[in-house]
Amino acid sequence: MPAFFEVDQLAVRLGDTAILHNVSLAFQEGEVTALLGHNGSGKSTLLKTLARQISPSHGEVLLHGQSFRATGARAFARTVGYLPQHPPATDGLTVRELVALGRYPWRGPLGRYTAGDQTLIDQAIHDTGLARFAGRAVDTLSGGERQRAWIAMLLAQQTRCLLLDEPISALDVKHQVETLRLVHRLAEERELTVIVVLHDVDLAARFCDRLVALKAGQVVADGTPNEIMDSGILESIYGVAMGVMERAPGQWVSYVH
Amino acid sequence: MFADSARVPATAPSLPRRLPVAIALLWLVALAASSLPWLGQMTPGELFAAFWSYTEDHYPSVLAHYSWAPRVSIAVLIGCGLGLAGAVTQQILGNPLASPTTLGVEAGGQFGVTIATLFVPGLLAFSPDLAAVAGGLLAIGLVIALTWRLGFSPVTVILAGLVITFFLGAMNMAFLLLKGEWLGNLFIWGAGSLVQNNWEPFLELLPRVLILAVAMLMLMRPLALLQLGQASASALGAKVALVRGGALILVVLMSSVVVSRVGVVAFVGLAAPVLARLLGARTLGERLLWSTVTGGGLLLLADTLAHWATTLGNGSIVPTGTTTALIGGPIILMALQGIRNTHHMPGADSSPAGFMPTRKPTLLIAGILMALLVLTIAVSMAWSPGLSSWNWTPVSNWSDAWVWRGPRLMAAILAGMALGMAGTLIQRMTGNPMGSPELLGISGGAALVMVVLVLTGLDIGRGGQLVGATAGAAAALGLLILLARRHRFAGNQLLLGGLALYVFMDAGLRLVMASGGTVASRLLNWMYGSTWLVSEPEAIGLLALVLGLGALLSLVIRPLTLLPLGDSAASSLGLPVARARLLLLLMTSVLTAAATVVIGPLSFVGLIAPHLARVLGQQTVGRQLVVAALAGGLLLAIADYLARVVVFPNQLPSGLLAALVGGLYFLWGLSRHGRH
Repeated sequence: MPAFFEVDQLAVRLGDTAILHNVSLAFQEGEVTALLGHNGSGKSTLLKTLARQISPSHGEVLLHGQSFRATGARAFARTVGYLPQHPPATDGLTVRELVALGRYPWRGPLGRYTAGDQTLIDQAIHDTGLARFAGRAVDTLSGGERQRAWIAMLLAQQTRCLLLDEPISALDVKHQVETLRLVHRLAEERELTVIVVLHDVDLAARFCDRLVALKAGQVVADGTPNEIMDSGILESIYGVAMGVMERAPGQWVSYVH
Repeated sequence: MFADSARVPATAPSLPRRLPVAIALLWLVALAASSLPWLGQMTPGELFAAFWSYTEDHYPSVLAHYSWAPRVSIAVLIGCGLGLAGAVTQQILGNPLASPTTLGVEAGGQFGVTIATLFVPGLLAFSPDLAAVAGGLLAIGLVIALTWRLGFSPVTVILAGLVITFFLGAMNMAFLLLKGEWLGNLFIWGAGSLVQNNWEPFLELLPRVLILAVAMLMLMRPLALLQLGQASASALGAKVALVRGGALILVVLMSSVVVSRVGVVAFVGLAAPVLARLLGARTLGERLLWSTVTGGGLLLLADTLAHWATTLGNGSIVPTGTTTALIGGPIILMALQGIRNTHHMPGADSSPAGFMPTRKPTLLIAGILMALLVLTIAVSMAWSPGLSSWNWTPVSNWSDAWVWRGPRLMAAILAGMALGMAGTLIQRMTGNPMGSPELLGISGGAALVMVVLVLTGLDIGRGGQLVGATAGAAAALGLLILLARRHRFAGNQLLLGGLALYVFMDAGLRLVMASGGTVASRLLNWMYGSTWLVSEPEAIGLLALVLGLGALLSLVIRPLTLLPLGDSAASSLGLPVARARLLLLLMTSVLTAAATVVIGPLSFVGLIAPHLARVLGQQTVGRQLVVAALAGGLLLAIADYLARVVVFPNQLPSGLLAALVGGLYFLWGLSRHGRH
């Protein structure tokens, strides 16, 4: 079975600056992958390329073994969902209205919303624990709730894959953990492929199946948390002397010397 | 399982009751006012029946059927169409300033008809709307071509639209000044007249408006996605550029179809959606519906007012476009108080597409500009066409030529410098590349006073005009300060306020223009900057003023660097934000007033010169100020020289030439910038 995403010798240039070069990766179906790396290492760019927000200047991305450029806009949106790093203000939309927009790829400009759509929308709201806020304007929610509302929209989109760009960077620890736990649980329940850009190595190791690290536009480390959570490898990723302790199986603590 | 910040049970927000109530009231008033003059002669039932029939032997009934009823119908139809088009435009661009007017569509239509009237009148007889549609498409085509590569980024689209509006307006004026005998008719048409004498125009317009409206409604769902921003909308499978482009085309068709039939009915497309949103229309569907209904009611009211004014004004026609502007102004001002969150509209990119060319040394750039300026001065003083041929005036004779060429040249350069500095101040202060004295209505305030002076027929001489215009600019600015104080002078609110002032000025101007005659062409000359009216003492006074203010400006460079970082950042660095803004606004207004008196309100040097400075690699405030001043001076010096020689022995207003030259430059710069 071909991998969900297959990235082959990908290069992205913005103007004269090379952001990514020669990146080759495969993302398996049902796998939760974290993209790590310091600021400017190209992880967001990689994610945007996978989401077709940026077109690569060289190389190819295969979606289920086929070039992903061939897919139509809505067909692609039925397979891959993308949450940008800074979702904009939504100007009075309620949570339910926002989530309902996730059905657009399936219904298009004119198709009727069926009872099935309504069920999916309610299900997405319920799964993200937002039922009591369904009628509230998104702008009036707290940061964590707003993030969950956007994730609910991606769920209503019924994609096989979620691409999340730093979904927890603006949240406090409690909401960070809650959001990642939610993503993890949803990925298991719905067998989703998830690729998420994260800054916190420990949380990434705790909640993801696989860690991929980029540095200066190239892959420098790729493996299970067990393989990556090693002081030598972390040092090579971040360029700072670091140490790692394993407190319990699957729970690491990294620290800076 | 989840942490909830608020335990308050929340209900879905419902449509506030004030919305239907207010709109119903608007319609009631409009209908009552419209039918009032007829009720003496007919019963309400008979009047209502006039929409489909008439009694042959009852003259008022015939009149109502062929004049009143079609006029009411067409006003409602056009109002609804423009209201819908405006709401769609605002959704496309995620911008409360967007409307067919601000996108240049209406100016384009007007331009098309002007050209057709002057050069191919046969075309107008064949099909009245072909020329307007072509003009509207030309305008939006330019806007799209210029912003295509930027994916129709909202700020850039509005910027391009406004520049094209000014540019086409200036072209219009150039033709009209050269062929003044056509002035009156074109201006009545240009100002939007809804006078009807049969049902034909309405029946022609009805299917077109309906088809376009249905097409717009079919795009509703993709349009709703735009609210989530470009990234999310395209991640949901909407082809953002295509949706925006398609909807824009529909808006153009709707506006052009209207413009070609009745002329420019400005600001309905802006005011209706603003009013609907202000009264609480929240979702896209609600906004589209209520903007449409509001637009119909607004235009009916405006048209009724125009009709009344015409009746009272002894037969001098008051075009409906004038009254829409008079109603539109206050609504925009109301919006200013009501609209939150205009700073970052949904879907709008948080930062305007920035001009970020590589930095270049200031001394080099300033030196080059300086040299060009000196060269221009020398050529302007020395080389000029005589009655038979072009000849050089030797330096020894310059003192004789000074009286004719000196003061006006000096005034032009100084006005350019003042505008360059004022424009830089405003753009820095508001963090908005569209900010300029022209667009903030400060020039408009000065112009409004001039219009009033002309209207009242007072002859108070050049000095009196100077004082009056300065007072006008200061009053405009004062009003702006009062209005914007609540928002601590934030960017978009200022622009909206300025737009409202501009609307008022526009209304006054249309009124004067519609009367035609010598008054109109005198006013036109001033509006477009006739430097030949400047005397030597005035030029020297201007010199002192500009030099003094220039020196003062060196004090505000650092606050001006801090302000764009945002109010909280600036005040946490110890800057008294509100007071700093007030001071800057004051300086800006004095600079603008001084320049406006000389060059008229429409040169848009204040918009271009700061951009030019940025494109030339001057990114920091101080450098930008210096280079913008030099660039502004150079621009107007060249314009003044050309204005003197191009149609010798006649003269063109140099502000007009500056607008044409500057507009061309700006369009070129914008497209070049897009290619990066």
